[in-house]
Amino acid sequence: MRIRDYRQSYEHDEALWPTRVQQVWLALLLLALAAFPLLGGGYLVSLMCVLGIHVIAATGLNIMTGYTGLISLGLAAFMGVGCYTAAWLAQRGVPFYAALPAAGLMAAALGIVVGLPSLRIKGLYLAVATLALQFLMVYVFREWEPVTGGVRGVNVPPATFLGVPLNTDARMAWLIAFCAVLLLIGARNLLRTRIGRAFLAIRDKDISAEVLGINLLRYKLTAFAIGTFYAGVAGALLGYYYRAMTPEYFTLQLSIFYLAAIIVGGLGSLLGTVLGALFMTLVPEVLRAGVAVVAQWVPRATEILSPVQQVVFGLLIMGFLIFEPHGLQEIWRRIRRFFHLWPFRA
Amino acid sequence: MKHSLQAPGGPTRRRLVQAGLGATGLSALPLTSALAQSGEIVVGAAPPITGVFAFAGVGLHQGLGDYCEWRNANGGVAGRRLRYIGEDSAYKMDQAMSVFKKIMAAHRPPVFYGDSTAWAKAASVEVSQLGTTLTSSPSFASDLADPVKVPYYFMAGPTYEAMIEIQLEYINSQARAGGKPSVALVYSDTEFGRDPIEGAKKHAQKLGIPVVQEIVTKPGAVDVSAEVSRLRRARPDYVIFHGYVLAPIPEFIKQMKEAGMNFRAMGTIWSMDKTTVDAMGAAAEGWMGVMPYRYSYDTAGARTMQAIKDHAAKARPNMAYVPLFYTHGWLVGSIFCEVMDRCLRAGQALTGNNMKAALESIRNWDTGGIMGRPVSLARHQIPMGRIYQYDSASKLLQPASDWITMEG
Repeated sequence: MRIRDYRQSYEHDEALWPTRVQQVWLALLLLALAAFPLLGGGYLVSLMCVLGIHVIAATGLNIMTGYTGLISLGLAAFMGVGCYTAAWLAQRGVPFYAALPAAGLMAAALGIVVGLPSLRIKGLYLAVATLALQFLMVYVFREWEPVTGGVRGVNVPPATFLGVPLNTDARMAWLIAFCAVLLLIGARNLLRTRIGRAFLAIRDKDISAEVLGINLLRYKLTAFAIGTFYAGVAGALLGYYYRAMTPEYFTLQLSIFYLAAIIVGGLGSLLGTVLGALFMTLVPEVLRAGVAVVAQWVPRATEILSPVQQVVFGLLIMGFLIFEPHGLQEIWRRIRRFFHLWPFRA
Repeated sequence: MKHSLQAPGGPTRRRLVQAGLGATGLSALPLTSALAQSGEIVVGAAPPITGVFAFAGVGLHQGLGDYCEWRNANGGVAGRRLRYIGEDSAYKMDQAMSVFKKIMAAHRPPVFYGDSTAWAKAASVEVSQLGTTLTSSPSFASDLADPVKVPYYFMAGPTYEAMIEIQLEYINSQARAGGKPSVALVYSDTEFGRDPIEGAKKHAQKLGIPVVQEIVTKPGAVDVSAEVSRLRRARPDYVIFHGYVLAPIPEFIKQMKEAGMNFRAMGTIWSMDKTTVDAMGAAAEGWMGVMPYRYSYDTAGARTMQAIKDHAAKARPNMAYVPLFYTHGWLVGSIFCEVMDRCLRAGQALTGNNMKAALESIRNWDTGGIMGRPVSLARHQIPMGRIYQYDSASKLLQPASDWITMEG
């Protein structure tokens, strides 16, 4: 049971992690993130890299969709913009610590342009507008050969930090984890500011928000800019991680993947974003690992069970949506509540 | 003496539980050290068993896995057994890379088979850095047949560019006194579709074959009437389709026939499997294309094709027809093994550089009839193929030319 959680000052009340328990857990988490690339095997570290990138991108989408109610089906396009911007800059010797924000800003600039229709349209209509952008940008990625390498794609030189090339999964894992933690803290802070509250007000009822004095143009575009900035940084990290990228990666399927992640995790929740990304990344891996174990004893198991594993994954997503519409974050919240109240109320 | 092997007091329930837990834990650990001791060679793979390329991926997986079985039954590689580990990539780059990294981390296999061009490009960065593994995949992208930029990758067949060159050579051989036949290129707006087009146009120009029309479509386009009217105006003698598996080829052919055009339709490897051509229905009549391999029913004088047929009949009694994807997987396996065999017999470790050198030393190598002539892998591809034509009477694809080899 949590006790002695006294909030006796505004500073304490405003703290991101107000209790000692939270601070200890956070410190342990950071320590684990720092140690994992050294202790985890190559495969697990590679999963950590992919997971970190998914968390950043999904956070961006959650800021737009989960917090502000602006449905976007074009996240993959913004990731592509970030990836190609970073690739272009890296090929010209720009260090990663400049290329990453530049990639985010480039995606954000495009996000502002795309966000303009959100003043006139919303809901499914906005989703279709962003869908159009998705197709348009894939076309640009394929055709703008001098910058994107066309259909053959681009190679991205490895990021270098203090002369050390970040050309292994472990080194990239540190960079990705650092960016993910930084951006998550940024998002958590943002969402309790005036801007974050404006986002929530717009999501709940934009007309009421406007009556309350919230400038819809400014805040909707801000949401688009911030969300796409995150997507751009995620795309840039993806480029640095794989070091080779083709336009066929940034498809609608990827945008749907992130939309599924934030819905499964819980719309409008940063914890839900992380849990959703975890679910969408790790569950297929776990199912595939199960198939691999069975294949050691059962001949032909891989070809029989691989399609089944996709069905199971789909059923799991449906199951979560049916039995817990608020997403994984709600399950997590219930578990926490149980321990907070234990043993007085189990 | 049997008595002395037991622990004092006999096996208690606790000991049995401990032993069981220990065994379970060990089974979950990577088997690297065990494999090293037993001398097994791991063949890693991330075939697309599900997803959009599943029509081919299952066959690729079966072909490569079955080749390893067959090879083990025939002595293995330099006396060492093969262990095939393949996991589904779902034709997604993230998943293919994840499978690749997982198998590499657990087993560090000397050879690995991926699923796509995107995978090959992303993995080549890591493979070049590690220098431990020779790779291949079902991609015949021209970029990948580059021993300098992609040193540890090879393709078990011609590049897409070489495939179209083979078709053009065949078309050139059909020229009559009236002049060279004209060609139209119809391709999908994908990396796969666009890959050979520039090279094809250059080769057509070299041969003096006029390219009278060039049409780009979506991969699975449905309405092709506008494109067909352009073809009708251009009146090509041959229409080469590339970058598709099936749709929209049958629709194109149907509408071109309805428009009264006099043409021959041709395709490249992935639209040349018998099951694919059967699915074209009436449009299959007269269908031609380039195939780097014999069809599985063509076993006369081809010992490997016979071995494939026999092994598939034994291991997969329900498989009525052995698809070209299976043959491709089998050939990739045999090239992997030939490379490793050459290294091991020369007393060399299975490193990337040694295997690359062994790969490039393969010249005049007999594939046992999978390909019609002895092959060379000096350029990390086998620029050889043959034109086949669909025979509606036998419902089989029959040779329309001899084997044609390009320079590569």
